[in-house]
Amino acid sequence: MSLSIAKLTAVNVRKDLRLEWRSRDVINSMLFFALLVVVIFSFAFEPTAEESRRMAGGLIWIAFLFSTTMALNQSWARELRNGVLDAYRVSPAPSEALFLGKCLANFLLVSLLECLMAPLFVLFYNLRSIGPYWELAVVFLLGTWALVVNGTFFAAMSIRTRNRELMLPLLLLPISIPAVNAMVTATTNVLTGEFPPVGQIKFLAVYCVVYTTVSFLLFDTVLNAE
Amino acid sequence: MKSPIFFVLLMITLALLAWGTYQALVVAPPEATMGDAQRIFYYHVPAATAASILFWTNFLASVWYLWKRSPKADALAVAGAEVGVVFFGVVLISGPIWARYAWGTFWVWDARLTTSLILWLLYASYLVLRNSSETGSTSVLAASLAVFAAMDMPIVYMSNRWFRTNHPQPMIGTPNLNPEMQHVLLWNMLAFCMFALLIAWFRYELERTGQQINTLHIQKAARGNMSMAMIAPVMFLFAEDKLLHEKMVQHRYMVAGYTAVWTIYIGYLLFLFSKLQRLKREGAALGLGEDQHHLQ
Repeated sequence: MSLSIAKLTAVNVRKDLRLEWRSRDVINSMLFFALLVVVIFSFAFEPTAEESRRMAGGLIWIAFLFSTTMALNQSWARELRNGVLDAYRVSPAPSEALFLGKCLANFLLVSLLECLMAPLFVLFYNLRSIGPYWELAVVFLLGTWALVVNGTFFAAMSIRTRNRELMLPLLLLPISIPAVNAMVTATTNVLTGEFPPVGQIKFLAVYCVVYTTVSFLLFDTVLNAE
Repeated sequence: MKSPIFFVLLMITLALLAWGTYQALVVAPPEATMGDAQRIFYYHVPAATAASILFWTNFLASVWYLWKRSPKADALAVAGAEVGVVFFGVVLISGPIWARYAWGTFWVWDARLTTSLILWLLYASYLVLRNSSETGSTSVLAASLAVFAAMDMPIVYMSNRWFRTNHPQPMIGTPNLNPEMQHVLLWNMLAFCMFALLIAWFRYELERTGQQINTLHIQKAARGNMSMAMIAPVMFLFAEDKLLHEKMVQHRYMVAGYTAVWTIYIGYLLFLFSKLQRLKREGAALGLGEDQHHLQ
């Protein structure tokens, strides 16, 4: 059984990535949006290198948070066409596989976005980390998973509402505030090298575990809500 | 069926609110440094307690709904969240008024304040979801969100460890609190918790009525609503009486606090009342009025 869930998940991930590879709708709009946020912020604040190190944590995560929201909306909106989502609901495949597949595909997309955006931050903000880079990597992995797992769940919820795309940020942002707080603090701590981000990393790990569990338990209910 | 109990409870609550407010404004001794401005204590703290009870109700009712799919549980969850948001709104409005006097600023981003604001935002988003989802799936989606919101609370508390707090620590039962003040606080606690539970009960009935469109229930509940809206002017009588003797600034904060808080309570009750009218009309349009006439 567990093998079949793993297989189904892999099928879902492959399907999502193939769709994305053929259309490149999501990644293009995400990239362009994140780029715009970065440029507008730098016009708005005109930071020096020292200042930018302090505010980069917040800036990076705001850019990623908003562009993730775009990706998440698209990822489920796609399934509404031709009644694909209804087909999932009547199929005997476990819905957990669908959810996990979506999460992983979104996680890969957002990670790709982060990798592509990193050079731009260095370029525009003269950014160089004082703390070790592997800490930054851990923070980004956990932070991205925290955003994506909740985001995928709430995107599935918000496409069931009347004003679909509008609903997602309204539901996702309040729930994500503690995680965003931890990500921003951790990133700033690593960049400035003033404090070790151990506390925030532990916190993010707990957050990820709690919300991954809750999402898995409730996804079937939300998918089949009538 | 609930009318006599509701009416008796309403009378008791009204008496308690009047008594509690009298105690808070007249009997309680003025605080050594903050004077009258400190009297916020007697409705700020009870409102917070009432709101947390209501949010717990929302969580438990949501879990119950997800498990049993009982429409009663759903109605209870709505009542808990909505009335909880109103009472917590009172906490968030009255707090800054006091803080402006005590700390010199309306808002600081400290642990307790941030946590409270996030809590309020979470339940506000719950209400937004309820208002915008399609009828069939609303209850299930909202119940799932309620579980998420409840999970968020311990996490928010954890994430706030790296903030320091200016907010006064809980003092009930500690020697830091003047026994006379504690006595007054406990009266007000009782009064406002009953007030909150009564409104929640009313909101619950309203939701049930919405579920069933039953005009008979609406009319019974309407009587309770009108008399609750009458409380407010009584409060201001007490406030004015004290205005003649004490320091003006502290008074202004006290009056501002009471005005803000009761504007919210009354505004909410008016909102519920308009909702009631709408349901009534809807029921009449469906021909439930004739049924009811027949029943009487």
